[in-house]
Amino acid sequence: MSILLSLPFLVFFPMVISLLVLSPLFTSNEVVLRRFSKGVFGFHFLYTVLMLVFFNSSTPYAVSINLFGMDWIQSMGIKFSLRTDAVSIILVTLTSFIFFMAAVSSKFSIRKNHKFYYSMLMLLESAILGIFTAGDMFLFFLFWELEMVPAYFLIGGKFMENYEHQEEAKTSAVKFILFTFFGSMFMLLGILLIHYYNFVSNGILSASFADITDSTIPFGIQILIAICLLIGFGVKLPIIPLHTWLPDAHTNAQTPVSMVLAGVLLKTGAYGIYRFNYEMLPQSFKVIAPVLAVLALINIIYTAFVSYAQTDIKRIVAYSSISNMGLILLGLCAVNQIGLSASVFHMVSHGLVTAGLFMIAGIVYLRFKDRDINTLQGVATVMPRLFGFSVLIVLASIGLPLFAPFISEVLTVIGAMNSDISVFIRFSALFSLPLLILSSCYMLKFLHKGFFGTVKDEYLKVNDLSVHEFLVLASLLGGLIIFGLCPNSILGMIN
Amino acid sequence: MINDIFNILLPHFILGGFIILLLVLSMILSPRFYRYARIISAVGISGAIVCLSTVQTEPQYFGFKNSVMADSYTLLFDFVILACGFLITLLSKNLVRRHKRHAYTFFAILLTAIFAAMNIVSANDFLTLLVSVELLGFSTYFLISVSKGYLPKEAGFKYLITSAVSTGIFLFGVSYLYGITGSLNFSAIYEYITENETSFIYAVSAIMIILGLGAKLAVFPFANWVIDVYKGTETTVLAYLSTIPKLAVFGIICRLLVFPLSNSFEIVFVIAVISLITALWANTYAIRENNVKVILACSASANASYVLLTSSLVSVYNLSTVIFYLICYAVMNIGVFAYLNMYGDDKSFDVSAFSGLYHKNHGFTISYAILLIGLAGIPITSGFIAKIYLFTAIANSGLVFVPFLLGLLLLTVIALYYYLKILLPLFQECDKNTSVQKLRTNFSQKFVVAASAIITVLLGICPEMLIELCKFIAYNI
Repeated sequence: MSILLSLPFLVFFPMVISLLVLSPLFTSNEVVLRRFSKGVFGFHFLYTVLMLVFFNSSTPYAVSINLFGMDWIQSMGIKFSLRTDAVSIILVTLTSFIFFMAAVSSKFSIRKNHKFYYSMLMLLESAILGIFTAGDMFLFFLFWELEMVPAYFLIGGKFMENYEHQEEAKTSAVKFILFTFFGSMFMLLGILLIHYYNFVSNGILSASFADITDSTIPFGIQILIAICLLIGFGVKLPIIPLHTWLPDAHTNAQTPVSMVLAGVLLKTGAYGIYRFNYEMLPQSFKVIAPVLAVLALINIIYTAFVSYAQTDIKRIVAYSSISNMGLILLGLCAVNQIGLSASVFHMVSHGLVTAGLFMIAGIVYLRFKDRDINTLQGVATVMPRLFGFSVLIVLASIGLPLFAPFISEVLTVIGAMNSDISVFIRFSALFSLPLLILSSCYMLKFLHKGFFGTVKDEYLKVNDLSVHEFLVLASLLGGLIIFGLCPNSILGMIN
Repeated sequence: MINDIFNILLPHFILGGFIILLLVLSMILSPRFYRYARIISAVGISGAIVCLSTVQTEPQYFGFKNSVMADSYTLLFDFVILACGFLITLLSKNLVRRHKRHAYTFFAILLTAIFAAMNIVSANDFLTLLVSVELLGFSTYFLISVSKGYLPKEAGFKYLITSAVSTGIFLFGVSYLYGITGSLNFSAIYEYITENETSFIYAVSAIMIILGLGAKLAVFPFANWVIDVYKGTETTVLAYLSTIPKLAVFGIICRLLVFPLSNSFEIVFVIAVISLITALWANTYAIRENNVKVILACSASANASYVLLTSSLVSVYNLSTVIFYLICYAVMNIGVFAYLNMYGDDKSFDVSAFSGLYHKNHGFTISYAILLIGLAGIPITSGFIAKIYLFTAIANSGLVFVPFLLGLLLLTVIALYYYLKILLPLFQECDKNTSVQKLRTNFSQKFVVAASAIITVLLGICPEMLIELCKFIAYNI
């Protein structure tokens, strides 16, 4: 069995298919392309599930690729190595699942340039999987940069006739790429400094995560490195002053792209903090954690208020994502087992919830050509099935028991309360509790202003959910309920 | 004497022979035979490349009373310069068709420039260096103003003035150095420096020498020419201007810093500051520009400043990164200008004029896009590897240079913005009523664009071989 389960195949399969799809030899027939891509993403998801099932934390998957008998860049000690631990295999599965859902839900939102769209979606999947499985800092950085290219085209590309936000989408794509590049340059500085100081103090010229030990690096340098890295990840996460790209990008992109961005892309930032700061530089992380916890608290509370003030339904969801990412950050700051596992669990549950919410917003926009909750009303009367799903997913996102976010939110707060690093973290945990109330404020506003009321006459004939949309929402909801009922499936793996 | 020629100067002499042949033919042949000029020049360059195998490099060879030298380092630079020259010759088909009367002269001057560039790299004496730099400057001046019109003349004149002034500064530095050491020979100067205490005036002279040479790279005090010169120059000549003089001057600057000019902190710090100023100026200037040529001019200046900063922090490792960066950069630049050459010299170079070109010319526009994202330093291209490799060199040089590194890294974010400005219109959707042109291309242009894009991607995937070569060269200097 272990022969079949290959990490390079997992990571590079979508990339190879994407090049195949992009090549002029491949058909440009819309239906064939759509079915083919759904098949590819579905197959990839099954393959990841298989890898998850056979995953064994005592012998994690690890592989190092040699080109012509040499490491990738031998002179700098850079290896092309991929490997997974429990956290990354969970995130890999989440990635594959969300991409599969996005591909299925692309049927109605993508009306143009199918070839380009699907190929970029696959390339983005490869890049994100690469981030989650990289075993070397520079390889991580390579995938981190590579991911910008497809993400740019997916956000700013023209995939719909007469899309009224096309120009805004273009500018927000440029904003996205410049912000990310800005952050990644700080990150590169951090990586270069770790690479050098690890070589100086330990004598190992290597960039593998496994070979870095922070104990011998001077402490001041460690803090400098940690801050550089945090700026890089903070753009992606996002941490509050660096967040302004996110609402624009998520709002103006097409629905499946928003699902992918919020569901998976943001998690790369959290994963980076876990992989670099939490795991590799624990000493400095313990010093920075209180500051980060306060930033996380600001994230949680401030964006919850901002979200309440929004009138655009996609913007409400986008700001709620930032708020939830603050919670994930808080879980990491606790630096204990409960905090970490809760944080990873919240990545998964928030990925599912936010994909569902963006899907709902996208469906509403497709039918009503409107995203403003002040003018939008009566969706519930014409689309009862959508309403049913919306109620369930919104309740899940508020943190109702039975759904996954409840467990992860409560566990995060418990983890942070138990943190023995600093009193600031415990305070942050205490003050983040109002999130549960605030999130119900903005989420219920989303629900009741948009869905209730009397529908306008011209929308009386709107169709309810199609099969595709039904399946996507049902599987996301199914995931939420399964993990809500047996959270130990994820928590157990991390412990 | 004869030994010297056969041991190290055979490629130079082959080129010299072809220069004379081309000049003679330019006098006796009628313009109808303009086609053959390109072939003759290509044959000459290939001959010189073949003759590189005769150069003796192990051990280092000093010829003509120590005034020229050869080792594996000069051999590599000679090879890269000649290869670039060959590609530029391939690209010049359209140019000579427009200037039939001057075809033979054009190639004679191009070969002279290549000759001068090779001579700069192998110089071991400030006198040889001065003569070669002047020869390079004057040939470049003629190449820039080859076409008719106001802009090329303005460009050529600006280049001439700048290069004259910078040579003055260079000579001033050399005269100080002569005053201190009493010799113009690199080896003798190095001996003197290692035996005696150096003074403040020595650092001043070293900085003046570097700045004087730096004018060819468009580095800070003499950076302004690059805008007007690029704007008024034909794309073929730009492919030359952005590669060969740079390779040659970096070749000699790296060696000057390694052995005749000692590596004192003052020199390094001043050069680092100058590089940072150049990068700041070039990157911010490009933001508000809309002309593709001007943006590429700024990018050339900015890239030169990154390399100059690294090469001033002398170490073997840094030298290997510099060589790797220069090679990757030369490949990408030639490819970019080959695409612009395909696009045509007589058209507008405003970024909006390129809109939608992708829809009629898929392959080449994608190649062009790959080259541009390579210049911006995004994977999977050689530009990404080269930039990381270069920046590791700065990071390894101590905490003092971390602020400089941070500055450069942030400036590359700005650089990404202007590369996107060139890149995005290519893929723009067009209205039905504006027709996108299908580019008229010839085989050699296609070859250069495709080959450079392929090399860029291949080096991005498996760079280790070339890096090993660069390290070998750097260890043997």
